[in-house]
Amino acid sequence: MSDNHNSAGGVPTTGHIWDDDLADFTNQPPKWWMLGLTASAIWVVVYWLMYPAIPLAINGTYFKGFGLPGSGQWTAIKELAEDQAVLDEVRKPYEDKLKDMTPAAILADTNLSEYVARSGKVLFSDNCAGCHGQNGVGTFQTGKFAEREKGYMAPILNDDDWLFGGEINTIHETIMGGRQGMMTPHKDMLSEKQIDDVTLYVKAMSEQGKDKADADASVAAGKQVFAESDCTACHGADAKGMPAMGSANLTDKIWRFDGSIEGIKQTITYGVNAGDNARVAVMPNFTEGGKLSAVEMKKLAVYVYKFGGGTPEAAPAAEAAPAAAN
Amino acid sequence: MSDHDHIYSTKFQDKVERSTLLMFIMTALTVAVGGIVEIVPLFYLPNTAMCQNDPSCNNTQHKDLQGNTIPMDKIVWNPVTSEHKSLAEWVPGDGVRPYTALETAGRHVFIREGCFLCHSQMIRPFRDEKDRYGHYSIAEESMYDHTYQWGSKRTGPDIARLAGKYSDEWHRKHLKYPRDVVPESVMPNFFFLEKNPVNVERTVKTMEVMTKMPFNPVPTSIYTADYIAAAPEALKDKTEMDAVIAYLQSLGNHVKFEEGVNYRD
Amino acid sequence: MEATNATPVKYDMDVVRWFTIAAVIYGVVGTFIGVYVASELAWPFLNFDIPEITFGRLRPLHTNAVIFAFGGCVLMATGFYIVQRTGATKLWSNGMAWFTFWGWNAIIVCAVITLPLGLSQGKEYAELPWWVDIMIAVVWLSYGLNYVMTNAIRKTSHMYVSNWFTMGMIVMITYLHVVNSMAIPVDWATSYSIYSGVQDAMIQWWWGHNAVGFYLTGGFLGIMYYFIPKQSGRPVFSYRLSVLHFWTLTFGYVWLGAHHLQYTALPDWTGSLGAAVSLAMIIPSWGGAMNGMMTLSGAWDKLRTDYILRFLVTAMAFYAMSTFDGPVMAIKSVNALSHYTDWTVGHVHAGALGWMAMISFGALYHMVKKLWNTEMYSDRLVNVHFWISLIGAVTYVVAMWVSGIMQGLMWRDYDEYGTLTYTFVESVSAMHPYYVMRAVGGAIFNLGTWIMLFNVVMTVRQASAARGTSPVAARA
Ligand code: HEC
Ligand code: HEC
Ligand code: HEC
Ligand code: HEM
Ligand code: HEM
Ligand SMILES: [Ca+2]
Ligand SMILES: [Ca+2]
Ligand SMILES: [Cu+2]
Repeated sequence: MSDNHNSAGGVPTTGHIWDDDLADFTNQPPKWWMLGLTASAIWVVVYWLMYPAIPLAINGTYFKGFGLPGSGQWTAIKELAEDQAVLDEVRKPYEDKLKDMTPAAILADTNLSEYVARSGKVLFSDNCAGCHGQNGVGTFQTGKFAEREKGYMAPILNDDDWLFGGEINTIHETIMGGRQGMMTPHKDMLSEKQIDDVTLYVKAMSEQGKDKADADASVAAGKQVFAESDCTACHGADAKGMPAMGSANLTDKIWRFDGSIEGIKQTITYGVNAGDNARVAVMPNFTEGGKLSAVEMKKLAVYVYKFGGGTPEAAPAAEAAPAAAN
Repeated sequence: MSDHDHIYSTKFQDKVERSTLLMFIMTALTVAVGGIVEIVPLFYLPNTAMCQNDPSCNNTQHKDLQGNTIPMDKIVWNPVTSEHKSLAEWVPGDGVRPYTALETAGRHVFIREGCFLCHSQMIRPFRDEKDRYGHYSIAEESMYDHTYQWGSKRTGPDIARLAGKYSDEWHRKHLKYPRDVVPESVMPNFFFLEKNPVNVERTVKTMEVMTKMPFNPVPTSIYTADYIAAAPEALKDKTEMDAVIAYLQSLGNHVKFEEGVNYRD
Repeated sequence: MEATNATPVKYDMDVVRWFTIAAVIYGVVGTFIGVYVASELAWPFLNFDIPEITFGRLRPLHTNAVIFAFGGCVLMATGFYIVQRTGATKLWSNGMAWFTFWGWNAIIVCAVITLPLGLSQGKEYAELPWWVDIMIAVVWLSYGLNYVMTNAIRKTSHMYVSNWFTMGMIVMITYLHVVNSMAIPVDWATSYSIYSGVQDAMIQWWWGHNAVGFYLTGGFLGIMYYFIPKQSGRPVFSYRLSVLHFWTLTFGYVWLGAHHLQYTALPDWTGSLGAAVSLAMIIPSWGGAMNGMMTLSGAWDKLRTDYILRFLVTAMAFYAMSTFDGPVMAIKSVNALSHYTDWTVGHVHAGALGWMAMISFGALYHMVKKLWNTEMYSDRLVNVHFWISLIGAVTYVVAMWVSGIMQGLMWRDYDEYGTLTYTFVESVSAMHPYYVMRAVGGAIFNLGTWIMLFNVVMTVRQASAARGTSPVAARA
């Protein structure tokens, strides 16, 4: 192994040998590397002086560095303010207007609607879609596995069926204040048979329409239960639901929870938001704790309305809107 | 061994290479420097020591960029000065508080299931994180987090300000089978949490331990003897699912952030 | 390169043999769990609703298996091997080395049991329960003491460069482990860190980064400085570079932990301290990479026939790459994008698969030949393993770089109206193809470790058959 001692351009080794043949050449580190090392050391010192890097408490805070020449001292919060300013510049023309407009007025203003539709997308998807599904299609649990529940987590929002009403202001109220529809459980009020009967009647109303179901002798027992129990108090004599309490329309094919016989029976037996085994239907309140800002909630109202199912009649005309304060 | 002992570095280096002890000492000293400089100040600087030596949290040393005093007493809840005197009375916005008994149990589940490997709890001061998750996080918000849970990876979204975003029922459904409510999710099913009762004994002991921490302990004015004694009752018949949901619903609504105030100095 | 010297008897190599075999086995296990964990993110049904194997519990098992089981056994095998041979002495205490072996394996068994049970302290790479932390401290100190004392009784005048690095690792890991693991137990399964919030975060990443810097890097640089010159039969390129590499790395790396916490609730000064030194670390790191690569100058042709050398040299290339990637990620504006994304995971595995695992494979093959005084059962399989590892590692790393950057860009993208463009779940679905690609890359890499296991088993059997002794205790 002694030939190693003087290879590679005749540079000697240090003369130390380990484990028979391990040695070190006495080559110098490359020039660029030594320069790089020096530059690195200088870099560190300069950087530490320019940026906040020195943990010495001065006057209740720490030394913020001298800053880049001309551009002041950097801090993360200043950087945020600068980036935010760029964004605010783009948003300002829209946001300024939005601040003082009602959702109805925003809806009427075609210039603003595209802006709101765009800004609503992520707002809705990151806050609401967990319950209402992407684009408001609903989140349906298939109940495939024994332990899983079946039915919709929250109402579908991209149809024109509404529990509480599809007017722009109602939607806005829903988002600001949350919702919690209530339906009494009937397990103690009605007999097993009565529940079965009324279930079949409700199913028939949905499939055939109310008139035909009323004429259908095979569900007459259920019809009687429906009329005589407390159902009409909430769902109305016409069974079309009452927006004031968010009760469902039972004469259409749209199901708030689950339209199978078992599903309907479950709703009737245990009720909604009414304790043990009841269906839980809580729409959170987005004002509380500042989860969403006032403008964000307005945007969402318009965004949801524009899924296509909004109820236009009740939306006040554009001229009435600007006057209304928020 | 070589015939001569020419030194190709320095005399001192040569000495170090010859002496195991010297090499040991030199490395032990060299590697200590950086750590000391970065860690030790965090235990005494006013902007990170939190309420360390000031039980009233009246830390007037804590100033923002403009030199304005940051109102620490509005950031950290103090039952003595607050109008809300106990954990049960505390409401969001009162300031940073330690966890209730049920939340403490839930936090244990959170750590056990490795949620922090997919979810961060640290919102950085960026405009996109503000839009997506809310106000940037501040030091005091995790002052009672013994074993901090900031995370280092967002396979799922940040959850630092999750409180109130969903209903308890949503969390129940989502935690049981995430893909039932979010079809694109890659989060595991945690339905089994519903089957496990909360470990009462461990939770109570955890709360006791939290009051004995050498740094940022929970004040005994908050975890009072009465509060700890009442914990088993509060935990009765609760499942780990209830507990972890309670924990999730406590995240990020403690401080009422005011528009235009800098909370980091 | 002729084999061992004339008097092999003077070394305590049995314990090294056992550590070597253990390392090969843990390499298979650790990367297999990695593949499984990766597959869970690509196809979540693989969690199978079994609590013990859900992602959140299996991921720590993966990191612990590759870092502590695989990495640890490689470090201890090579450490004991190198310190004896470069010091021309037996171990200070062979008995203590066996204690280290059984102790370390007992820790690994504890990890395999406790991590799936969810006994986590909630700190990355320091998840193990408090009493395992105590075991680690004891066993680590037994390793350290034995190592240092063996150095002290060496017959050579100077400590060889490998031993500087290993000693640095031993000292630093002791500091880190002791300080970071400080916790108050609640019961046998649970304990909570005595630090909280920002202080805990800084201590955790002081640990986290330096576990990387001194264990996964420093320790493995010790391996590099021994095995590259040995395998190539060339002296180290530059002694002065070794000296500078060692001290700059040892001094500088310690500052880097803060780059994991930029823009967090820690004050700005911590991030700046870490970021500046991180960038400055390119040069020292590349010095080491060069010192390894240039050792081959004049012997590059050996790469054509020496497959073990291919592993060693490729590892140096990955080392250079990941120590460029890392500093770039430490730049404030880059970290703003990369933090929390798969870019970090890509960077980790460029280091882990490309550097740390490759250098280990090279060293393990070299040692197997020397320890059993034989040739490999199949050199061709070594070559196959090399190519498979390379393809697997590149597939994995590329997938994660792409997905990480994509993730980062999607999260912060604003449209022309100044509103966020993508929802969070859109970014989750966008990751799917890359998660699949990573799982495939990982599976390829894992296949290589099986080939290695087969090759090593056959080699050992062949060697002991030739000598007519039992496979492992070839020579008592
Ligand atoms: C925790 C789940 C959940 C979240 C999150 C949620 N909702 Fe709801 N939402 C519901 C439930 C449940 C109802 C039905 C309440 C009832 O039946 O009493 C509802 C009802 C509604 C309604 C009334 C539907 C109708 O038919 O009258 C609107 C509009 C609505 N939500 C919009 C939103 C918007 C916008 C968001 C996001 C800011 C949102 N929701 C977030 C669960 C949720
Ligand atoms: C206290 C008021 C109240 C009473 C009484 C009541 N309901 Fe309801 N019902 C509701 C409300 C509110 C909902 C909508 C639940 C929600 O989404 O919050 C509902 C929903 C339903 C649904 C589910 C509809 C769907 O689309 O899934 C059925 C079926 C139903 N009711 C049937 C009945 C019958 C039958 C009775 C009488 C035996 C009855 N309800 C009595 C308030 C009531
Ligand atoms: C494999 C990674 C993974 C693990 C482990 C994981 N999650 Fe998730 N989590 C996700 C993903 C991806 C999402 C986004 C999609 C969704 O909402 O399901 C998510 C979403 C969530 C959300 C909704 C957040 C929001 O703002 O929309 C909550 C809450 C949550 N996870 C809690 C938990 C808890 C608690 C645990 C541990 C018991 C946990 N996660 C473990 C990946 C994970
Ligand atoms: C077949 C090879 C491997 C595969 C498929 C694999 C896969 C994975 C996966 C899926 C993760 C989780 C990433 C996430 O949370 O998104 C991970 C994390 C990790 N792996 Fe591996 N891995 C492999 C080999 C290794 C090796 C050899 C090491 C050696 C040290 C290693 C070290 C790590 C580390 C340190 C992390 C944590 C990263 C972080 O927290 O950012 N892996 N791995
Ligand atoms: C000079 C060299 C290096 C620098 C400056 C560096 C820098 C970084 C940075 C900036 C991060 C991301 C932190 C974050 O945003 O969360 C990181 C993560 C990481 N790096 Fe490096 N790196 C270097 C070398 C290496 C090497 C060689 C390895 C090899 C094994 C490695 C392993 C890791 C691991 C495991 C993580 C993940 C930590 C976590 O769990 O989040 N690094 N590194
Ligand atoms: Ca509807
Ligand atoms: Ca990590
Ligand atoms: Cu690092």
